[in-house]
Amino acid sequence: MFKLLSLSFILFTLNVSAHPVIYRDGIVVSSFNMDNMNDQQLMYSVTEKFAAGLNSLRFSHDKKDTDLVFAKLNHLAYRYNGHDSQANIYLHSGIGLSDHRAKSQGAFMYGAEADWETRTLFLGLKHFQYYSPHQFDMPVTMARIGFSPFTASFDSLQSWFMIQAMHAPLADKTVSLTPMLRFFYKNVLWEMGASAKGGWMLNLMVHY
Amino acid sequence: MKFIFAVLLVSMSSFSFAESIKVTVNGMVCSMCAQGIEKKFKKIDAVKDIKVDLDNKIVILETKDKQDIEDAVITKMITESGYNVSSIKRGANE
Repeated sequence: MFKLLSLSFILFTLNVSAHPVIYRDGIVVSSFNMDNMNDQQLMYSVTEKFAAGLNSLRFSHDKKDTDLVFAKLNHLAYRYNGHDSQANIYLHSGIGLSDHRAKSQGAFMYGAEADWETRTLFLGLKHFQYYSPHQFDMPVTMARIGFSPFTASFDSLQSWFMIQAMHAPLADKTVSLTPMLRFFYKNVLWEMGASAKGGWMLNLMVHY
Repeated sequence: MKFIFAVLLVSMSSFSFAESIKVTVNGMVCSMCAQGIEKKFKKIDAVKDIKVDLDNKIVILETKDKQDIEDAVITKMITESGYNVSSIKRGANE
């Protein structure tokens, strides 16, 4: 039943990641996919400070998957709006189910992320903790740095070069360093990357 | 006398009924995130067209039939989009 729910969720939502809270009444659908993990989210921004939704994750380790499904609440705890930059601190929480080594039970997650960006520079750091009693207590830490070689206008394609470092003990390639390209055009963002160890990354996010 | 009255009336109307509203917005660095501003203002009947200028951090609202939009409404829309209003200016060609 749990796997069926997870599969249904994955099939009926495009995968999602990043941009934890957007404008009031906005919807974010995102899919974050690497060779050792998948992260799908569907979030609705109830206000410009809070978003609620669903999150499905899969961590692959020795061909044994750990699946998680959460009802999530994201909070924009702080935002700095400067003339040429923006900085954010987000808090994440979620409660749901895990399926780890053929055993299903309750799970929850919490975490925080911070970012700072201008039109040509980006810095981001996030740390999440995933916990299921007697099964796992797993941290996932991710950092990103990026730059854009040019500034694009509002309706033009924007391109970024980024490097992502990730530490996820429950997944294969516990530590990964992935150079990547990020593009966005209007309300659609997509990213692709590959690491020296043969890892890959393919992400998609749409704002509605 | 009628001419002076007409000139005064036209002058006053340009203050009361803007056809172009220039909003300077802080934090507008990401074009994808700023799509929310366009989406919000398109829901307002009085808005004919909206232009987002990321270089100068301004949003220009062209209104229908020289209608005005209250500062409070503009500020609310920008705030709900996740940004801060720095200034609001009105003028036919601004």
